[in-house]
Amino acid sequence: MFNFNFSGEFVAFFVFAVMIISGAVLMVSFAKVVHMVVSLAAVFIGVAGMFVLLEAEFLAFVQVLIYAGAVSILMIFGIMMTKHQEADAEQAKPLHETLTAIGALALFGILFYAIRQSDFPEPEQALAQGTDNTMEIGKLLFTQYVIPFELVSVLLTVAFIGAIVLAKKEAE
Amino acid sequence: MGAWLEETLTWGNALLFFLWGVILLAIVLGFVTYAIFFERKVIGWMQYRIGPNRVGPWGLLQSVADIAKLLIKEDTIPRKADRVLFILAPALAYVPAFAVLAVIPYTQNLYFADINVGLLYYVALSGISTIAIVLGGWASNNKYALLGGMRSAAQMISYEVPLVISVVGVIMMSGTLNLRSIADQQGDWFWQWNFIPQIIGFVVFVIAAVSELNRTPFDLPEAESELVAGYHVEYSGFRFAFFMLTEYVYVYAIAALTTVLFLGGWHAPFPFLTWVPGIIWFLLKFSFIVFFLFWIRATLPRIRVDQLMGLGWKVLLPVSILNVFLTAVYLELFVK
Repeated sequence: MFNFNFSGEFVAFFVFAVMIISGAVLMVSFAKVVHMVVSLAAVFIGVAGMFVLLEAEFLAFVQVLIYAGAVSILMIFGIMMTKHQEADAEQAKPLHETLTAIGALALFGILFYAIRQSDFPEPEQALAQGTDNTMEIGKLLFTQYVIPFELVSVLLTVAFIGAIVLAKKEAE
Repeated sequence: MGAWLEETLTWGNALLFFLWGVILLAIVLGFVTYAIFFERKVIGWMQYRIGPNRVGPWGLLQSVADIAKLLIKEDTIPRKADRVLFILAPALAYVPAFAVLAVIPYTQNLYFADINVGLLYYVALSGISTIAIVLGGWASNNKYALLGGMRSAAQMISYEVPLVISVVGVIMMSGTLNLRSIADQQGDWFWQWNFIPQIIGFVVFVIAAVSELNRTPFDLPEAESELVAGYHVEYSGFRFAFFMLTEYVYVYAIAALTTVLFLGGWHAPFPFLTWVPGIIWFLLKFSFIVFFLFWIRATLPRIRVDQLMGLGWKVLLPVSILNVFLTAVYLELFVK
């Protein structure tokens, strides 16, 4: 079990794993909302690092661009516009906390069981090492998945127009 | 570099990675020191002044003295500031600025990382600096800093969109996101470089890049006359130096990126000049862009914040989308 190859990839995996886990834990335990968003951004970057290790570079940097960049800034903006006061420590509710802990453990158990049980089928023709996966994603998007792709763009346009309408209404 | 990453990580390899990082860092710090000196000199000459000329021969040690001053200055943290974020923000701003330099190819063989999605890497990481600027502005707990941080975020987000869309034309022409291949595909005559066929994209890119750098005429985030100094009002000493360093490292990065994307990278302007090493051509074009940035700073006034947003969304964005469309039509009709 412990005869792993101590390569750069392995070290990078551990660095990113620590980043994801500590970011997630801190996200839950911080009191200030801005701190939570920063630790969330750390998680996003860690996940992007994992994608790089899996040789999905395109996905990785889109993850950084959209999540670590755009989504985090959006959240920070939203938080700054509102009042930032530390939430008072809530009164401990033993029953509530016990039930939550049981629920969380059960969820973890189910997820862990499902991940252990499922086998990941090898794709029919795996991409050769070092192919330009950006190009492959592009080809798939515009052939096999062109309808979902277009639907998503329509959805985004609708959301976009909706945002403009809401902002206009408020301005008047 | 990629091959070493697969190997077992010995102390030797780790040392090698570390040394390359240190070499690049030394080059960048040297660039920043003298870029600041030349900026002051060039602006001085353009305004019919002499510029710094006291410290060292011709004032060459002026920036060194300034940096030394910043480093030994008292480091103040406001009592009501958010201490952790206040300390974190300068480092968070600098790390992506330095990390984006990894994908810049200097010549055919001199590069650090040859990533398939180099251009996307650059764009993605430079977005993280925006978070740092907003956090720095917010953590200072100062209204000028907060206003500066907000303006900066609004500006950087607005101009990132045309910046990215303006290079889509280049990507379509070269069919890759790899910066080394993009530079490699441009020809040996200067009209074969991307800036002539992609002239619309080039103009949009340069305007958006100046804005991303927060430099005059788009330096609203630190508009001294209205915001004191913008997001770094409360910063002093080496934390302030880090923000300055970030700014100038992005000047380096944008100048190098423009060279690679639009000005043919290491290619000579005429085929009979190819005996001059590629790195010389790269440095010449790079220095020209850096000079160009100083030049417009010395000659243009600052624009208003509503004009800035209007320009970004109503002019640059439609023009860059039009450029993508025209490129697509051209490629469809004449190339395929």
